[in-house]
Amino acid sequence: MATREQDMESGIIFDIKEFAILDGPGLRTTVFLKGCPLRCRWCHNPEGMSTEPQIMRSESDQRLVGERWTADRLATHLNGQASVLRENEGGVTFSGGEPLMQAEFVAAVVRRLDDMHVLVDTAGHGSAEAMRLLAGCSDLIHYDLKLMDPDAHQRFTGKPNGRILENLKLLDRLGVPTVIRVPLVPGLTDIEGNLAEIAHFVGKLACISRVELLPYNRAAGGKYAACGMRFDPGCDEDASRSVCLDVFREHGLHAILV
Amino acid sequence: MLSERLESMRESVRAKEHACHRRQEAPDVVSECDAEALSWPRRVSRLLRRQCEAEAPVIEPGQRIVFTRTVPDVPPVYDEASWAAKFADGRAHELGPISNICADWSMPLRQGLEGRRAACETALAEFADDPEAVEFLESAVESIDSVLALAGRYAEAAHACGRDDLAEMLAKVPARTPQTFHEALQSLRFMHAALWMNGHYHVGLGRFDQYMRPYLQADLQTERIDLAEAEELLAEFFLSLNRDSDLYPGVQQGDNGQSLMLGGVTRDGECAVNELTYMVLRAARDVNMIDPKINLRVTRDTDIKLLELAAELTRKGLGFPQYSNDEVVIPGLVAHGYDLEDARDYTVAACWEYIIPSRGMDVVNIGAVSFPAAVNETVSELLPQNISFDALCAGIRKNVRAQVGRLVGSYRNLILPPAPYYSVLMHDCVERGRDLSQGAKYNNFGIHGAGSANAADALQAVKAFVFDEGSVAPDTLVDALRSNYENAEVLRAQLASGAKVGNNDDAADGQLIFLFDCLADACEEEGDNGRGGVVRAGTGSAMYYVWLARGHEGMCEPVVGATADGRLAGEFFSSSLAPSPGVQIRGPFSVLQSYGKLDYQRICNGGPVTMELSDSVFRSEETIHKVALLIRSFVQFGCQQLQLNTLDVKTLEDAKAHPEQHRNLIVRVWGWSGYFCELAPEYQDHIIARHKHVF
Repeated sequence: MATREQDMESGIIFDIKEFAILDGPGLRTTVFLKGCPLRCRWCHNPEGMSTEPQIMRSESDQRLVGERWTADRLATHLNGQASVLRENEGGVTFSGGEPLMQAEFVAAVVRRLDDMHVLVDTAGHGSAEAMRLLAGCSDLIHYDLKLMDPDAHQRFTGKPNGRILENLKLLDRLGVPTVIRVPLVPGLTDIEGNLAEIAHFVGKLACISRVELLPYNRAAGGKYAACGMRFDPGCDEDASRSVCLDVFREHGLHAILV
Repeated sequence: MLSERLESMRESVRAKEHACHRRQEAPDVVSECDAEALSWPRRVSRLLRRQCEAEAPVIEPGQRIVFTRTVPDVPPVYDEASWAAKFADGRAHELGPISNICADWSMPLRQGLEGRRAACETALAEFADDPEAVEFLESAVESIDSVLALAGRYAEAAHACGRDDLAEMLAKVPARTPQTFHEALQSLRFMHAALWMNGHYHVGLGRFDQYMRPYLQADLQTERIDLAEAEELLAEFFLSLNRDSDLYPGVQQGDNGQSLMLGGVTRDGECAVNELTYMVLRAARDVNMIDPKINLRVTRDTDIKLLELAAELTRKGLGFPQYSNDEVVIPGLVAHGYDLEDARDYTVAACWEYIIPSRGMDVVNIGAVSFPAAVNETVSELLPQNISFDALCAGIRKNVRAQVGRLVGSYRNLILPPAPYYSVLMHDCVERGRDLSQGAKYNNFGIHGAGSANAADALQAVKAFVFDEGSVAPDTLVDALRSNYENAEVLRAQLASGAKVGNNDDAADGQLIFLFDCLADACEEEGDNGRGGVVRAGTGSAMYYVWLARGHEGMCEPVVGATADGRLAGEFFSSSLAPSPGVQIRGPFSVLQSYGKLDYQRICNGGPVTMELSDSVFRSEETIHKVALLIRSFVQFGCQQLQLNTLDVKTLEDAKAHPEQHRNLIVRVWGWSGYFCELAPEYQDHIIARHKHVF
């Protein structure tokens, strides 16, 4: 039986992606942590939801997704690239899944990193302790906000958004530089009322460096069949929309479409 | 953005409208040479004379840089039997004539062909008692006069059609020193085209931003023209390089070696980047055609703005620039006997091999060692004998040694045909009264190691599963390879699941290092190559990633069947330095880390790490900046050369199905770029298959 300490020092990962150009500044390597408390219907990483290893099957091949790494092994791997990532304005990003679910593991890895810029990409649904832990080892946070209406949030992600908003306020109190990221799901998150509410909420926070709006990814459903899951995004994927950035500007926010 | 004038010229060049001028039959040179019983050198200069005479000047409205070839072929100088007899005591290299080197464009531009003629006259006086030198120098003079006469006829034609501006310029160049950037471009156009007309090929353009810069600078200082005007002329010059490129010999259309080099350091070690470096990248981006092929020398201190501009050119999907790491290449050349000043002056041959303009008569590609054959043959032969892994490696080493020995042995009596005109454009040939074919300052050979990733993966699979784990019996593996894994899919999948090159895995990368050590050792053991040079090991694969897998007419290397990395017979090998096709790779940093482990001081012949980027990584200025950082990281990871391709698989698949709709689609093939629709299907398939590794 693994001791609790050993558990904290290892985590489950479903991918490591290098040259992740949308995951923060400069040259970065992103670690995708497996397991997420949310079930966003449009999620494009369905293999990141379950905390357990699973088989992904395509027509031609199948592979086991989800591998347990010790903090030592992961840090050694990342440190091998440290100097080059550092010299190129970048570092390491922890994404998921939900890093809050493996916050102690992330912190254990970061403690072993060789002076690297650390970015945590979180959807915010987790305990305040976990958020404090991650905030303490991050240089920058990417914070996903989807829906401001609690009922809609419950319906489309499986959880209410109360804790998410509380954790964001916590980050503000802690003064951790944060980028807000809003996935633009047609007819759901990209409607003006929702964007305006997001702008209103984050406009009051001093820690926000910018707001990034992520266009809907038409390939989002691509991996569901391989995971033995059904993709039902709950939106009209074909609805194309022009997004108005003005609501963010009105609140003094720097917003970009990426 | 191209001007309207150049945009329509580009359309016309792409549609090969100028081909309507190609009417004339190639002159019959053999008959008169035989009748006059001319020597070989005099035949070569007679060839150039007749070629120049046969050209009909083409001056299109609005054209500012002229010369369009109208005689498509290069006729022979001997009948077939006599030609073969010339090589009876040795062998020819490829087609025969000197190729794949780079002239000293700086010197002939500065001196003008009249200046070079004067140098010949001086040498003729000096070497009057040496019949061989006299023959060479007289041939050189005839060559120069032929090119000058052609320029003269172009001047007359220009005058006749009311283009006195052109006529005036053509009266000056290529005869004398250009006074302007425009004149320098025109002079280069004639001098360069004449090499092709004389039967030379893979004619490189060298360090263009260095030797052309004085002329640009003079223009800018006297405010004769501004940067925009200069860029317009440059773009037209680049368009002109695409006029005749379909006439050049090559394995596939586009494989023509019209490569040029930018950036780097001067012969004194100072930063050589200048305004022309940037201008060439912009012009190449706007011209957006397969020639010239751009190379860029970088260090960790290269201005990120320059790399961003280069990334914008990469985004075009042309497959260039190709990047070279000065920090690795220069010491590598020095370690192979090149003087430091010369090493700093390096450029690339047709594809990727490092050569010194003006002073190099290196034959950089005498062939490739088939690493997959070395591993496969040794495994099949020795594994059933219950040998140790070390003994297996010793067998592979012996196999590589034997392959190198055969290649170099077959080139020990290399015969290069006389090249009086090329000699005029090189350092010290005229001055020493010695034809370039007799050798220059550097006379090295190059041999590449092909299929390296597959071979390393195969060797690692054997080590892991047969020796370390013992889970695969030697006979089982050998039988499976022979039968192309018939009824052995489980075994194949097991072998394929092992550690692979490209993931920064020390076990797999260690096998790669071993294979290239074998190659470098074998090359060193060859000693003198028979021409006073050494043999350089390289990492390129040219067409071997297809040929070794599927065979090709006239190929002497064996076709390699199924391999121990789980690859089936007929499947392509990796191209140059790239992970094996279909292998799961974490990303570009791991690839660069893997290849950064090689000792490039011992394998300096060139051959790039080749990576595919999705076109979506170029979505914004911010992400283009990141591509620039990636280029810089290749230097920091310690790699030698980098080839970045931009790929959109859907477009390629559509182009294969509907070529008529993708006439202008350009792709990188190996060390060169070509029009996708003009490639043979197997090359199209390989490019489409690369999408497995798109980052």
